[in-house]
Amino acid sequence: MTQTEGYVDQSAVGLEEPQPMYKMLRETSPVFRSGPQGPVVLSRLADIEMALKRTDLFSSNMDAVDLGNVRPLIPLQVDPPEHAKYRRVLDPLFTPREMAGREPAVTALVNRMIDGFADRGECDFHAEFAVPLPCTVFLQLLGLPLEDLDKFLVWKDGVIRPEAAVGAAEHAIAAAPAARQIYAYFERAIDDHLDDPREDVLSALIATDVDGRQMSRQELLDICFLFLIAGLDTVTDSLDCFFVYLAKHPDQRRILIEQPDILPSAIEEMLRWETPVPGVARVAMQDVEVGGCPISKGERISPLLGAANTDPAEFDDPDVVDFARNPNRHRAFGGGPHRCLGSHLARLELRVALREFHRRIPDYEIPPGVQLKYTSGLRSVEALPLTFPAAAP
Amino acid sequence: MSRIQVDPERCTGHGRCYTLAPDIFDADEVGHSKLLVDDVSGELEDHAVLGEENCPEHAITLSP
Repeated sequence: MTQTEGYVDQSAVGLEEPQPMYKMLRETSPVFRSGPQGPVVLSRLADIEMALKRTDLFSSNMDAVDLGNVRPLIPLQVDPPEHAKYRRVLDPLFTPREMAGREPAVTALVNRMIDGFADRGECDFHAEFAVPLPCTVFLQLLGLPLEDLDKFLVWKDGVIRPEAAVGAAEHAIAAAPAARQIYAYFERAIDDHLDDPREDVLSALIATDVDGRQMSRQELLDICFLFLIAGLDTVTDSLDCFFVYLAKHPDQRRILIEQPDILPSAIEEMLRWETPVPGVARVAMQDVEVGGCPISKGERISPLLGAANTDPAEFDDPDVVDFARNPNRHRAFGGGPHRCLGSHLARLELRVALREFHRRIPDYEIPPGVQLKYTSGLRSVEALPLTFPAAAP
Repeated sequence: MSRIQVDPERCTGHGRCYTLAPDIFDADEVGHSKLLVDDVSGELEDHAVLGEENCPEHAITLSP
């Protein structure tokens, strides 16, 4: 393991093109202590897989990451065996079959968003598409008023990337005000749904049984909070990463347009290559050794999913982006018990977005001279200007 | 001819198998993998291999 004097912020190093950094870490310091305050970064697939499965050694509890929440987020920050009782009631709400029913609504939404800029010949893809799409889908899914969109965007950024926060401790303090507003908002939303049950996920959760009893208000709040931080930013990150990639690789984009059936497989490959959520957070539950390196109880670790997804131990020619790649056992949605609950919703949003966008706007580019600025932690860009031939009005 | 097995302890519901080979695998009520057939040969065996090789949890095995 390498000890460095300076704090190496994994989020600031090579965010735009992180794959060479993953390779360097895997080959030189696969278990990397990123400075006195930073987490121990795992970059070999075998170690990452072990850490994701062995929740008895590496917990996903509140000590792993602090987003200003006052109780464990459900189900992310609850480990097995208790975790299973929540996944048993949440998983059925997010199966591929359940998500397929939402496809017409998502398709209509995506087209309305494209209508907003198609005849202009240019857009900020990030602000006009990648951000509002998952947020609006989320509001529809939970049965919340669509006019709350702007509030959600402020709160989401307030807990995920609060201004001026550098280390983990500062992050927690800076995130606290937004977290309080999120709790207060969902308190009201739960009251509203109790008074007026309807066909949406929040009403379904209120009505559901966990362990033979109704969910408590606190449990409902802890689930809603998790949904908000897990479901919005990650799809924005994926859309940003994918469209940057496709704008810069017109030959690959051409494949999507000429062979539309390859889209689901292409999405899996872009999830692998881009890994929009580059790493997850865990905390050691006991003194443990990984790859010959001691990790102390209470230390945070960060399994780098992006590094697992480019590990030649699993992937032939890992640096080649092959839309027809098979097999493709990528871990972009993590793995083990905490496998991303919303993965099938994310896949639906990505598939519909890419299909409809390329049907209507097959040719686009990032204007020459534009420098993309990636945000820290999760891989979104601050702005993604695209130009394209304007549609006839 | 191969026998397919899905280890329910390992499956966490990635859904790759039943998306890629819906004639072999299906989803149960929580989205975990459920077998539609136990023994496969020929083209069906190729489909089963697709599921096996794409499972991120190594939950699927084919044995003679």
